[in-house]
This record gives sequence, structure tokens and C-alpha cells, in this order.
Amino acid sequence: MKNVILSAFAAAALFSVSACKEPADPGVDFAINFKATYDGSQLEKNKPYNFDATQIVVQRYRLYLSDIALIKDTTVTPITDVVYLDFTPDQAASDLSKTPRLVFSGIPAGQYDGIRIGFGVNATNNAKQPSDFPAGTPLANELDYWLGWKSYIFTVLDGRMDSDKDGDMDLPYSYHCGSDPVYRVFTFTQHIHVEEGHPELNIEFDIRKLLLNDNGTYYDILANNATSNLVTDTRVAEDISSHYDTATTIKQ
Amino acid sequence: MKKVLHIRYFGLLLLSAIVFFQCQDGNVPYPIDEGDLTDIPYDPKPYSVPKPAHFPEVPFPADNPFTVDGIALGRRLFYDPILSADSTMSCSGCHLPQGSFTDNYAVSVGIDGIAGKRSSMSLLNIAYANNGLFWDGRSQTLELQALLPVEDPIELHTTWPNVIEKLKKHPTYPEYFRKAFGIANTSEITKELAAKAIAQFERILISSGTSKFDQFINGNIDALDEEELDGKLMFFDEGAAYNLPDGQCFHCHGGITLTGNQFFNNGIDSVASLDDFKDKGLGGVTGNRFHNGKFRTPTLRNIAFSAPYMHDGRFHTLEECVAQYADNGFGVENEDIFIGQMGFPLGNGKYSGLNAYQQRALVKFLHALTDTVAIHNPDFQNPFK
Repeated sequence: MKNVILSAFAAAALFSVSACKEPADPGVDFAINFKATYDGSQLEKNKPYNFDATQIVVQRYRLYLSDIALIKDTTVTPITDVVYLDFTPDQAASDLSKTPRLVFSGIPAGQYDGIRIGFGVNATNNAKQPSDFPAGTPLANELDYWLGWKSYIFTVLDGRMDSDKDGDMDLPYSYHCGSDPVYRVFTFTQHIHVEEGHPELNIEFDIRKLLLNDNGTYYDILANNATSNLVTDTRVAEDISSHYDTATTIKQ
Repeated sequence: MKKVLHIRYFGLLLLSAIVFFQCQDGNVPYPIDEGDLTDIPYDPKPYSVPKPAHFPEVPFPADNPFTVDGIALGRRLFYDPILSADSTMSCSGCHLPQGSFTDNYAVSVGIDGIAGKRSSMSLLNIAYANNGLFWDGRSQTLELQALLPVEDPIELHTTWPNVIEKLKKHPTYPEYFRKAFGIANTSEITKELAAKAIAQFERILISSGTSKFDQFINGNIDALDEEELDGKLMFFDEGAAYNLPDGQCFHCHGGITLTGNQFFNNGIDSVASLDDFKDKGLGGVTGNRFHNGKFRTPTLRNIAFSAPYMHDGRFHTLEECVAQYADNGFGVENEDIFIGQMGFPLGNGKYSGLNAYQQRALVKFLHALTDTVAIHNPDFQNPFK
């Protein structure tokens, strides 16, 4: 009997403590504005841009981002598992690239030290296919899924280059970067303040920097105007994806 | 005279009796509402659209979910010439099952015998079209698309008010609308509800997943013969390891439905400038000069049934289509970059094109996309036959 009474007291005490806990933080809405640029200016389709000693135009730029998370010390606060960004939708009347704005709910307010972004589709999701995902979600999109490699195409960057500098955009280039070895994760150190009413986060991808080598020289489009279709040859795709480290700018 | 008075008294008595009985139970006399449908049960049953396991979930808008009765109404409207001015032509006039929901004409002809300027597009797997409809993308949803042919002077050439009047007076349509959408009165029949029903029906037109290609990707590696397999490898740019060139086809005809629903200049017109396209396509809708000559990519599923080909039906055979692409276009400014990249790379952005065997293998692969089960699906057929 004594044990029963003690247990009842213990349960009541536990219940009281639980009940007195502060309610879970519902978090706030956190908006991120995405922008594609060329040398700092908002990207425009079919506009000739200086590239090394010649010019290029960009016609398509789309990408998947995965596992976007805010970082504070060793704490990782997930924002979203996947987003799909089409900066150059083909029906848009204007050639000026789109600036998608995505709002994520329930993000804990606070001060963060940086943001982590996966460029592409992580291996878990990339092992699946569009039919595995609910209609209308980013990974149900068939446009950027390649049956041949059984992989999503993480980045689509297509356009033309004036290869002989005669004013004619004669050389097509097509960088369709996909498959697990091409996936890159980068963490960008930046004070990020998440609070209702606080300025939104801006993430920009600069195409010129995406086409710069690590040593600052221009990527050799003439020699590498397309990603290989050989599953064993991901060299060009990895080159491009690796440049997201320097091509990405975080601003608040 | 006395007889006349008697008749008058009798008339007054009769009138009083009618008023008396009509006013029983506090009812106020009023004309009987002939359009009342509330006696008909409204019991919407959700419908799960059958699809192959390797196809994505069939999308639908939140304000137009599938119901058994919605699809039944849509199917009737789709096949009923009541939608045309002279009741001679229905949606199916341009979208027949045996043509994989095309009419097999180079350009479609309306009720007045006037030819349009474009070929009818296949409706197979149209539910997945998420980037505009028609060849030029001028409608964003099936619900909006379904409204246009009725009033197009070179198609069904009538007006929606006329159609709605016919539907209201029809012996069965009011009941169908009641069961599909729960309307209480025939006066609530609208063009928007008619379009919703048609859209529901069109969204169920999904492949069966039984083509040779489907069998192959589902693990039956014997489903494709050697030539078809070579065609498939070139189609999806998988042939490098087998000394086969890239066909680059899947860039436009991608995904399981074999259309990415994007708009391209696919390199079939040699024009001096972007202003010279006979049919401006997407450019005619957006006003963007760079969009001139771009058209929505049609699905290649059941392509063998939907000849002739291209937006204006200029090619009668798949061989002609492949041969055109194998020539790598005309170098027009807005031609898609992949039009010029068919074949083995020769350096400096030049490509070899495809030889006769490679073209033949591609065509054989296109025939491996044939799905007779879909076009004979009893749920897709004319309900009036």
C-alpha cells in the first residue's frame, strides 16, 4: 500500500513538472530569397556576358538544394530537406531570371553562425525516383530526372559561347550535373539572425564564378562544353559542382 | 343570364378552393421550380486513378478532386457533340483514342470545315502536363484549356451560354451535374463545372505501363531487341560505352512520360530571323521574340499512333522526324542547344549526326513505346457507343 501511495505521489510530481514546462518553441517563419547572378548582376537569359576574352549566353539554370540547415556551434537546425529552383522558366515573358522566395515555417528564433547547403539531391533521395514522391513536391518533378543514370540532375546550366569571337554564339555548352559523386555540401559562415520581422536571408549563385577554376582562371568551355554521359566520367560535373563553394553568396 | 351567373359563382368557388388548399400548412403559393435537383442524391465517391507503379502520382488541383461521377460526366461531355454549335463535333473529334487522343490530321478541322493551323496534341498522360497546354502554352490548366475550343470559331464555334442552355434542358445532364458537383438546381450548371468535369476525365487518360519500354525498365531485359535497345541507349544518351552516339532526345522528351512539357525551337524551320517564323508558337503568347518558333514538347508515348508529326503535321512518318533531327537543325539563333548535338562530338561544338542504322534503331525504339492497352482501355472510350 505504501508503495502505491509513493508511486501516486511520484506520478503526480512528474505530471506537475511536465505541465509546468514552457511550451515548445513554435518557431517563426523564415524566408530565403534566391537569386542567380552573372558577375554580381541579376542573370538575364540570352544576354551576352563577358567570359574570358569572349562572350557567353545563359539559357537555362536550374538546381536542386538539399538538407539546408542553420548552424550554431555544433547544433544543426534543419530548414528543409530539398528545394528545386528554376531561375529560367521557359514560359516567362521576361528574360530576367526569376528570384524565388521560399518561406520555411517553425524555424527556432535566434542567432546562428552559418548555413549549410547540399548542392544537388542527397544520396538517400537520389536513390529514389519521381514516382516515389507525392505529386507537386520537388522530387516528383520529372523534368530533371535522368532515367539513364537513375539520378536527378542536380544542376542544369545550358547556353552558348562565341568560341571564335566573331559575334556568333556558335558553341553550345550543357552542364547537367548529376549522380552521387557530384553532390557537394558546403557550410557558409555568416551571422544569421532568425526572428519575426527581421531581414530575410538572401542566397545568390553567380554563374561567372561557377565557371571559374579554383585558381581564378576561366573554365575551358571549348574543351569541356558538356558533361559526359559516361557514368564513370563525372569530371566536368564535379568541376562545376565544386565551384558552388565560391559561387554562392549569403547576405542578410 | 342566370346560367352565366352560376358559372361565375362556380368559378369563384373553385378559385377559393384552390387558394385554400394551397395555403394549408402555412405554405405561400409559388410557381413549381422545375430546375430543382435536390431529390437526386449527391454522394460523391473519391476516385483513385489507376496508374503504373513506376509513374508518378497523378496530380490534380485541390478544387477539382477526382470523383466517380465527375469523371462520368466529363467523359460524356468529352464525347458529346452537344458542345458544338451544330451538334456535330465533340472534344473527341480532335482527340480520338485510336489516334492516342489525336485526330491523325496534319491540322485539325472545325465544324465549319475551316482548317486550323496546328495539329491536335495527344492527351495521353496529360494530367502530368504542368507547364502550360496547347502547342503554345496559352492555357495553364486543363480546366482553363477545356473552355477554349467551344468558342473557337475554327473549332466547335458556339458560345458557352448556348451550350449551358442545351445542358440545362437536356434530359440527363442536370442529374449528372448534380451527382458530380452537388448543384441544387439546373440554374447552377456553368461552363466552369463543365470544364472541371472534362478535366477530370482527361486526367485519367494514363498509360497502362505495358509497352516494351515499360517492361524493359521494370526489369524484363528481353523486352527490347538489340536494335530497340540501341535506340533506347541513344535516346537517353547512354550509348557512349557501346560506341553509340548521343541522340539527345531525352533532354526534351524526358521523364517517364517522355515529355518534359517544356518549349523548344526543335530546329525544323530555316528562317532568316526570329521574326520570320510562320507560326510564332510560344512567342505569340509571351510576346518575347526569343520564344518565336518554340512549341511545347509532345509526349512520345504511343507516338506510332499519333502521326502526322510536329505542330503543323509536316512529317508523316517517324523516319522523317528522326532524319530531320539527325541533320542537326539550321543554326537558328533560338534553336535548342541539343538540336545541334546529335551524334559523336567532332570538336569545336560540331557533331556527326546519326547514320542510317542509328536512325533506324531510334525509330524502332519509338515503336517500343506503343501501348495498345491504353488506347483500348474501356474507361477511356465513347460512352455513347
